[in-house]
Amino acid sequence: MRIVAHPIIEDYQKGPLVQFLYNGETVEGHAGESIAAALRAMGVRIHRYTTKQHKPRGVFCAIGRCTDCVMVVNGVSNVRTCITPLEAGMTVQTQFGLKAGDGK
Amino acid sequence: MKRYELIVIGAGPSGLSAAIEAAEAGMQVVVFDENGRPGGQLFKQIHKFFGSKEHQAKVRGVRIGENLLAKAKDLGIHVILDATVLGIYKNKEVSVLIEDEVQNYKADAVIIATGAAENMIPFKGWDLPGVMGAGAAQTMMNIQGIRPGGKILMVGSGNVGLVVSFQLLQAGCEVAAIIDAAPRVGGYGVHASKVTRTGIPLYTSYTVIEAKGVDSVESAVIARVDECFQPIPGTEIELGVDTICIAVGLSPMSQLADNAGCQMEFAPGKGGNVPVLSETGETSIANVYCAGDVAGIEEASSAMIQGKIAAAAIARDLGYIDDIEFAEKKTAYAESLSKIRAGMFAPGNKGKVFEKTDEGFTISDSLLTKGYLSESELSAFPALDASGGTHIVIECTQNIPCDPCQDVCPAGCIIVGNTITQIPKLDKDKKCSGCGLCVGVCSGQAIFLVNDQYEDGYGTVGLPYEFLPLPAKGDVGKALDRSGAPVCDATVVEVRTNKAMDKTAMLVMKVPVDQLSSARFFKAAEGGN
Amino acid sequence: MSQIIVRTKTSEPFVPLPDDDLIICRCEEITKGEIRKAIHEGMRTLNEVKRYLRAGMGLCQGQTCQRLVLNIISSELKIPGGELGRITGRMPVRPAVMEAVGKSTEHSEGVERYDR
Repeated sequence: MRIVAHPIIEDYQKGPLVQFLYNGETVEGHAGESIAAALRAMGVRIHRYTTKQHKPRGVFCAIGRCTDCVMVVNGVSNVRTCITPLEAGMTVQTQFGLKAGDGK
Repeated sequence: MKRYELIVIGAGPSGLSAAIEAAEAGMQVVVFDENGRPGGQLFKQIHKFFGSKEHQAKVRGVRIGENLLAKAKDLGIHVILDATVLGIYKNKEVSVLIEDEVQNYKADAVIIATGAAENMIPFKGWDLPGVMGAGAAQTMMNIQGIRPGGKILMVGSGNVGLVVSFQLLQAGCEVAAIIDAAPRVGGYGVHASKVTRTGIPLYTSYTVIEAKGVDSVESAVIARVDECFQPIPGTEIELGVDTICIAVGLSPMSQLADNAGCQMEFAPGKGGNVPVLSETGETSIANVYCAGDVAGIEEASSAMIQGKIAAAAIARDLGYIDDIEFAEKKTAYAESLSKIRAGMFAPGNKGKVFEKTDEGFTISDSLLTKGYLSESELSAFPALDASGGTHIVIECTQNIPCDPCQDVCPAGCIIVGNTITQIPKLDKDKKCSGCGLCVGVCSGQAIFLVNDQYEDGYGTVGLPYEFLPLPAKGDVGKALDRSGAPVCDATVVEVRTNKAMDKTAMLVMKVPVDQLSSARFFKAAEGGN
Repeated sequence: MSQIIVRTKTSEPFVPLPDDDLIICRCEEITKGEIRKAIHEGMRTLNEVKRYLRAGMGLCQGQTCQRLVLNIISSELKIPGGELGRITGRMPVRPAVMEAVGKSTEHSEGVERYDR
């Protein structure tokens, strides 16, 4: 899903590839890109499950306005992953309601 | 408490322009932006802008953003990023969340330039992952370098929907269709033509009624609507898409102005709740200004000018420029603003249906309902030259504020005149040199270079091309007409690029002479490049 | 906005619609049916619906749903959208960690709002 060559944009100014933990698994993304971008590149679309109806949600506005893409990042809930830059060693977890969990 | 003479909230086109204007006048300025990168939405606007030279026409939004940032840096303007303004209080105190701390700033004047947020329409399944704003898709592909999806349905045929559809193609995505509940295409005809000629179907009077899928979008159901915009049973079409982009307009992000206590009004023509403003952008609170989309939805070019007007007014109030200088600036900016706000798509013309151009030409019905010109309707326009040899065909048929084609032609063939919304005409006494610059710079990609004497029975069509892989000389494929339907075989005979065209190539394809007036796009043969 | 909203007007009986389960406020998961019911129970403005149901009170503060809720009230009551008010913009107007907001004490002249 990464764009390798683009007719107009020469450089996305990405940082180096770094490792982070996604739901306990070691995965890779570019430092400085949004967490949401790194996840989308891996094919992840579900960022959280809602509190009441337990429905999946993902990236919706991508500029930090709608708060649909929130996840548990470094143990903190409700982090807007579309505007939070990826850092090496981060832990990113799917959010269930207000916290991380296995969805049960 | 830190003090500045001017606090600007939002480092988008309007905020940065305001900060630059104020700093140039000698004021001490700070700009806050809640994002990690400055520039607002400019950096995802990779298309060329309309306007005149003074509005930086034919320059891509991203480059305008780069220039603004460089200028702000030169002037030593403090741009504080990841800084979220939470509230504005009496005496122009501003609370800003920087990292995990709320800091308080105070200023003599404040400019709120917080921009807009995308509107949405609710439908069954619209909360599924894979349904997103068109701006979200644009951020993912143009800023983050990630395709939002593989196959996409675009809902909305306004300029955002059309431009983002084109950009999705540039990013390598497939666009299944563009739909609009209105019976007409919402955006500029040239933007629509750019996508329809690649083969994307555009359905007017259609809406999306359902996003289907278990964990994310697997398909979209669209249906035709009646005059009351209600779906007509039995007209449903299910499209296999993994992403649905919504482009149904923007709303001003005016909560901060409301929080500050500015007098507000509900103005549907401006996109929703906006502060009541003076002609310089001052709110009901002295020295609190609004500029850009927060003051009413327009586009980046006018937002930049509004920012400058507000900053100039503040510079005058604080004694940095005198009344005479201010009056000069104000007149110049107002003139520039009225130029870019002119034409059929001007803010004041929202929702109006035009049947004729200012010149009295009948607007193509095909363009308005299907998104492409029909050949018969095009023949009524003045930029057609039936003379033999190399000549250009300008398929610009609506009054839009744009004139770079006139400036760029070294032979002086193209006439727009001083009123930049005029439809371009050809000066029949001047001879086209065949340089193709106009093809490459036209922001609407509406100019084609035609040679009807290439070789026996064959001619060439030079067309703007902004996709990868870039075809090479000798490549074979199909020529597509304005609707995107293949009409004949085509061979690429030349690919021209140069700096002035800024990454737009002119691709010249050889087609039979009888297809010269219909062939408008090149599609490489499968398997070939 | 009109200062007087007629509350004594008997609203028509609540009739369920097939799309009542449509989510309108994505943050608080409030449906179209709940909003329509609230209107029939006497809520008349955006702020009233917000306080009654929490529609627009979630993380995004009505960024996405304000317009949609407005359209529903407007069509239920047949009142133009411009007369139904707006969600009051309050500090913090953007999402913020309350701990950070709570710690903020440094105000030379006190936190005072402009008169409204």
